[in-house]
Amino acid sequence: MGYAYDFDAILRNFGPLLNGLELSLEIAIAANAIAIALGFLIALMLLSRSWLLRLPATAFVEFFRCTPFLVQIFWFFYCVPLLFNVFLSSRALGILALGLILSSFNAEAFRGAVQAVPREQIDAGVALGLSPWRRVVHIIFPAALRLAIPVLLTNGILAFQTSSLLSLVAVEELMFNAKMLSSKIYRPIETFTVVALIYFAISLPISQLVNWFERRRAAAEG
Amino acid sequence: MTDSQSQRAGDPLLRIESLRKSYGAGHPVLQGVDFETYAGERIVVIGPSGGGKSTLLRVIMGLEDIDEGLITFKGRNYVSAAGGRTRIDAGIRRSIGMVFQHYTLFPHLNVMRNLVLAPCKVNHETRASATKRGLALLERFGLAEKAGAYPSQLSGGQKQRVAIVRALMMDPTLMLFDEVTSALDPELVAEVEQVILQLTGQDLPMVIVTHDIWFAKRIASRVLFCDGGRIVEDGPPEQVLSNPKTERARDFVTRVYHANG
Repeated sequence: MGYAYDFDAILRNFGPLLNGLELSLEIAIAANAIAIALGFLIALMLLSRSWLLRLPATAFVEFFRCTPFLVQIFWFFYCVPLLFNVFLSSRALGILALGLILSSFNAEAFRGAVQAVPREQIDAGVALGLSPWRRVVHIIFPAALRLAIPVLLTNGILAFQTSSLLSLVAVEELMFNAKMLSSKIYRPIETFTVVALIYFAISLPISQLVNWFERRRAAAEG
Repeated sequence: MTDSQSQRAGDPLLRIESLRKSYGAGHPVLQGVDFETYAGERIVVIGPSGGGKSTLLRVIMGLEDIDEGLITFKGRNYVSAAGGRTRIDAGIRRSIGMVFQHYTLFPHLNVMRNLVLAPCKVNHETRASATKRGLALLERFGLAEKAGAYPSQLSGGQKQRVAIVRALMMDPTLMLFDEVTSALDPELVAEVEQVILQLTGQDLPMVIVTHDIWFAKRIASRVLFCDGGRIVEDGPPEQVLSNPKTERARDFVTRVYHANG
């Protein structure tokens, strides 16, 4: 193939890609913050003895697990403003959509982790007089967070990558700016290769961190 | 009622009446337990595994639902069962401390933060005051240099000693020990038992579940033999441990003595 690669064109137009990356990271980090808190609360609801709490939590998790991400994102961007008469910035909608998607996945991770917290740890909390809420905050959450960290990080990277779907609803994140750039400079191969490398370069260290956590746990249990 | 009970004066600290509990249908664990404890008593509960000792202790700690019965603490209703629901007075529960068989220190907190968590959050004591008391207690039990250590850096014996100190931080009026040395390597047992023996000086009432007959003899002011979900024998240690009245208790004590050499 006689294609003449020109990566210079990308370097000369790197500004929009960096701006896009900044927004992608911002959305992914904010979504993770929401999803760690909300995911944990939903996990507690899933484990509740009361069906009044269990039912909405189950519906929430199943809805996000059984519909495609892209449909969820479109639904958020086109239906939420009409149904609820709220008009948020595309950045806020992106964070909300991604945060809720990620919450449903984190809820499952936390559910397993909460169940794995040793019963006697919680009994000790009762014996010390800690109220149910304090037991959640001071015993169950820290223990569950430690147990769930590898899965939470894996989900977190997935959310970062899923944020590229927001380009389809005109959020000016990395992928959106890449598409704009590629049609402006007619260099799709270079543009999307560089963009893939950027996603890869950010995800790889976190993925390695997950491996490290799992090795450490295996060593601790071994 | 046994002779030892009729001699006691004063109101009971803990009074347990016709306590019944089962784990699901067909698995009765406690089948009508009645006894009273009095101030200053150190009660050791012995008996075969599955006889209900640990469940009894967990019920007294307010960790379990019960099917029937009533527990009063200093004359006030503490644990009761009515209409299929168990009521537990959380205020009374706070005045009881418990140490468990397995290490229950919170792994993400260092020793001192394990000690001050409940005093600060439950009793609203200041961090400085709780830390000061914590250090004094750690010093008393030879653990002062471990204040900053994390549970994973401690030996099994040290963990159990810290767990005892953590329970003492709440100034309990009654202490429960549930087989606190059973999970330990033999050489670590003595250091933990020593800490419990040290507490006898301050007349803190205790209920102790243990398989260590030597320790039972040294610490107990009264021994209960629990089997089949009932209290089969109740008396001073020299009687229950050396000269049991019932066949079952005699059998058990002989076997455990042999096992311990």
